[in-house]
Amino acid sequence: MAVGVAGTAAQAEWQDPNDVLQKLLEAQPDSKYLHQSEMNIMMMPDNPALWLLDDGERLFYEERGPNNASLESCDFGKGEGVLDGAYVELPRYFEDTGKVMDFEMRLVHCMKEIQGFTDDDSAVSQRHGSGSDIMRLTTYIAHQSSGYAWNPPLDHPKEKAMRDAGEVLFFRRGGAMDFNCAACHGSSGKQIRASVLPEMRNSQEWTKAVSWPAHRAGQDNVRSQNHRIRGCVWQMRHAGILPDTPVNTALISYWNDAARGEPAILPDLKR
Amino acid sequence: MFNKKNLTAAVVVSASAALAGCDQFFQDASDREVDITQMSPEELAEHLVLETDSYRMDQEVQEGGTGRERMQQDEVQALCSLEGSPDSETAGQVVAAARASYERPDGGVELGDWRRGAELARSGYGYRVGHNNDDHGTREPGANCYACHQMDPAETTYGTIGPSLANYGRERGTDESVLNYVHEVVSNPHQYFPCTYMPRFGRNFLTEEQISHVMAYLLDPDSPVNQ
Repeated sequence: MAVGVAGTAAQAEWQDPNDVLQKLLEAQPDSKYLHQSEMNIMMMPDNPALWLLDDGERLFYEERGPNNASLESCDFGKGEGVLDGAYVELPRYFEDTGKVMDFEMRLVHCMKEIQGFTDDDSAVSQRHGSGSDIMRLTTYIAHQSSGYAWNPPLDHPKEKAMRDAGEVLFFRRGGAMDFNCAACHGSSGKQIRASVLPEMRNSQEWTKAVSWPAHRAGQDNVRSQNHRIRGCVWQMRHAGILPDTPVNTALISYWNDAARGEPAILPDLKR
Repeated sequence: MFNKKNLTAAVVVSASAALAGCDQFFQDASDREVDITQMSPEELAEHLVLETDSYRMDQEVQEGGTGRERMQQDEVQALCSLEGSPDSETAGQVVAAARASYERPDGGVELGDWRRGAELARSGYGYRVGHNNDDHGTREPGANCYACHQMDPAETTYGTIGPSLANYGRERGTDESVLNYVHEVVSNPHQYFPCTYMPRFGRNFLTEEQISHVMAYLLDPDSPVNQ
């Protein structure tokens, strides 16, 4: 494909996640972060996250829950049941709830409102692990946006407010070790132990950094953006963060905005 | 769009005052909801952290107190919530705050056991809370030096966020001024490096005994760091 990665206008065309990655690697030959794992780059066409797609698709279209309904009437922002390009345009403001919602928050909202699941049902309470409904659905839905450029809307004042608050949160020091997100993601090519870290101001490193769901080789599980936030917050020795909460949404608003214009790798494979 | 943010303590104080009683916004869409579009980004960030139940605020934490205290900023944290380096005025405030809170141990600074220090330098255990809590009753918290620093030249997995400390002691010796300086840096590095990312290990994190072991690992002529 002739479309280059660097500096192109927002793309609205599906691309295989491995093709997206290969173009990023070519565009950033000196990025230690992007090139750190030869093994993972080699494994990308056989990314174990792809194994979740069929289950995710089945879960999406199956009539499930107390209401015996599919998720086809769920609106992820581009209309009921429209999944193409929806994942990269989140978080966004939703009229029906009056608030800015990130992907997982919106998915859970639909599973509760449309299908009738409650917090007691493992379908929504289990958020992590390749075997969870949430991660299977997340992987399937996100995959429909692979290769699309991150493009979270900022037209609504609440979208702008959450994104701007997310930027402040990214730099907000706290916890037992005084860390903020920028402690690890403020400069390029730095390492924590053996891990090379992505720099938030390098949008081509950052698009890979925020491209979850991704199979984490070291954990042998597919993980979400929210799982990454929880892990970072835990390692930073902040207080434990909770799912479906606005701090998650604001941070993801900022993350996805910082990758704006760069194509998403969905799903990705990480160390 | 990406301007440097300098979140001062004054902004934090005014934000909390303006937002008192506005904690229902994200729980329901009642008339009592606050309009987040009328807040500055700094005010909204404080609101999100402290007033929206986004964290396990009531969870007990290892140093005593709760998650809420973890998320309420002290002066150094508030002054250093910025991108890049602090301006000279901010840096001066940070250094002054750091010096004011520093305490030299009774009886002066002494080196402990570098072997114990080696264990502490490699351990990233301790103080993590949330879905999974570090239990200090079964395992002591570490200093996690290798996450960011090279130390023993023979150790191959080390972080690079901080400078290399290989041969640190061989180059500096162990006289009183060196011991005092290194203790000041380990205990509260903002005295010399305002808004550094290095944690304040003397602030409810490591004991003085643990700090003495880490310092021995760094400075003792027999430590592998100095071979």
